[in-house]
Amino acid sequence: MILPAAGDTRLLAHGIGGREDLPIPFSYALLGAVIVLVVSFLAVGLLWRTPRLDGARAGRPLPPPVQTVLDSPALRTALRLLGLAATAYVAVAAVFGPDVAANPVPGVVYVLFWVGLVPLSLLFGPVWRLVNPLRTLHLLLARVLRTAPEQGLLPYPAWLGYWPAAVGLLAFAWLELVAPDNTTVPVLRTFFLVYAGFNLLAAAVFGSRWFDRGDGFEVYSTLVGRLSPLGRRADGRFVLRAPLQGLDTVPVAPGVVATVCVVLGTTAFDGLSNAPSWVRFVQSGVLGQVSAGTFGLLGCVAAFAAAYLVAALLSGRLSDGGRRSLPRLFAHSVVPIAVGYVVAHYFSLLLFEGQRTLMLLSDPLVNGANVFGTAERGVDFTLASPATIAVVQVVAVVSGHVIGVVSAHDRAVRLFPRRQAVRGQLPLLLLMVGYTLTGLTLLFAA
Amino acid sequence: MLVGVLVAGCAAPEPAERAASGQPSVTATATRVDGPVIEVRIAKGRVTPPPGRVEVARGDRVVFTVTSDVVDEVRLHGYDIDSELRPGGTTTVEFTADMPGLFEVETHDSGTQLFQLLVR
Repeated sequence: MILPAAGDTRLLAHGIGGREDLPIPFSYALLGAVIVLVVSFLAVGLLWRTPRLDGARAGRPLPPPVQTVLDSPALRTALRLLGLAATAYVAVAAVFGPDVAANPVPGVVYVLFWVGLVPLSLLFGPVWRLVNPLRTLHLLLARVLRTAPEQGLLPYPAWLGYWPAAVGLLAFAWLELVAPDNTTVPVLRTFFLVYAGFNLLAAAVFGSRWFDRGDGFEVYSTLVGRLSPLGRRADGRFVLRAPLQGLDTVPVAPGVVATVCVVLGTTAFDGLSNAPSWVRFVQSGVLGQVSAGTFGLLGCVAAFAAAYLVAALLSGRLSDGGRRSLPRLFAHSVVPIAVGYVVAHYFSLLLFEGQRTLMLLSDPLVNGANVFGTAERGVDFTLASPATIAVVQVVAVVSGHVIGVVSAHDRAVRLFPRRQAVRGQLPLLLLMVGYTLTGLTLLFAA
Repeated sequence: MLVGVLVAGCAAPEPAERAASGQPSVTATATRVDGPVIEVRIAKGRVTPPPGRVEVARGDRVVFTVTSDVVDEVRLHGYDIDSELRPGGTTTVEFTADMPGLFEVETHDSGTQLFQLLVR
């Protein structure tokens, strides 16, 4: 992605971020791969034989005063107001600001919001549901109409599950990685108007539960937030818990596999599309730029999903004769691998372009204002050296893999008869090794 | 403009500064150039040689030339160096690669990638 530089008063054709990460050194990729293989096969042989994870009940409850504060209506209202105010501020830039490279809107959307959501959710859990301005607008509307926000015209159909979120995330990824003029203000304005209109309408039909399951950004933040040390247990109490316990609470619902595969596949495509061989293919003119990008994006998601489904079905065959719900019973274990991919691909973007966006936000209408006093701050590229970035990338991918393998192992010993548990988890283990080695290869070669 | 210069880095500001303000840098008074000059031709929307990666060391003096059959502009992302392209003419860009990373060299109007510059 290439984001136009701040000093440029015209607009560039596409993308975000003028600088991209160097390929990681081969030694890093190799070391990562070795750790991945060793951990994976040791895990199957050495890890526990009876299930140990119980996310619904695990965790150390926070002291009662902290519980009270976290649950207080004042804090909830403050967060909602914060979400509304921030959205309004950016909307002013999107509606009244000029469509030039110094407009902060593209950076806010692709860097602060989309990438920034990941570390915030990793730290604090499902933050987007607390600040989501659409949820707040829906709540206000329900207050005015004197109805309960949960109450819709129709119950949310169980079979729909996370499917709308998966489709929404794919649409956003297409906007980010393929759509022409995707860093221009009119295109972003149109996308988010349609997105807001659609979600508010759906919430009117299905009640606020729509946001839990149907809003891609909320689902994304909530899935990533399962890895957070801060969680809410089944008994309603806030607890500190291990990421593995949080992962164990990922709902087993339709569309959860699709959602995780969309995150994995689109992030992989972002890496792949940078490879010179892909650029040569696109510019060879066999397909148009947009068709080639669309084809590549959908192809990546389809490949990751197909590999997952084959592995899950094989696991079923090798354990207890196959269950139709098996793929989604293991979807949670792919979440950390997807998060590892995301961190590896976007860490430096957030670090560097995040600084630039904060700078641009200080002058939202590009008229020389300096609201936050940050307009003149440059981008400090010394915050992370290429070596530091490479270390973060490899550590993210490898840690995601380790957490994924352990959570899949625990689920396998819970679901499969004792004797078949080891055999049954082998296809999924191989799949995870494949995902992770693909991730390392993309970091090294693309 | 001020921001552009800040972004472009602090070392060897002259050519970058001039290029960023729209005037192609003049390279007749050659300082030492590290490595061969990178030559790219654009004809009928095709890039020769096809886009690939050029690796240079941090601090190297880098020169590339672009020959185009249409009016356009060439941009080195990240360093934010722009130069105009004229039909039949050859544009030369010279700068010091003082910022590590992977940077795309692209045409502005057609959005065609010419090559990627890898600064280690």
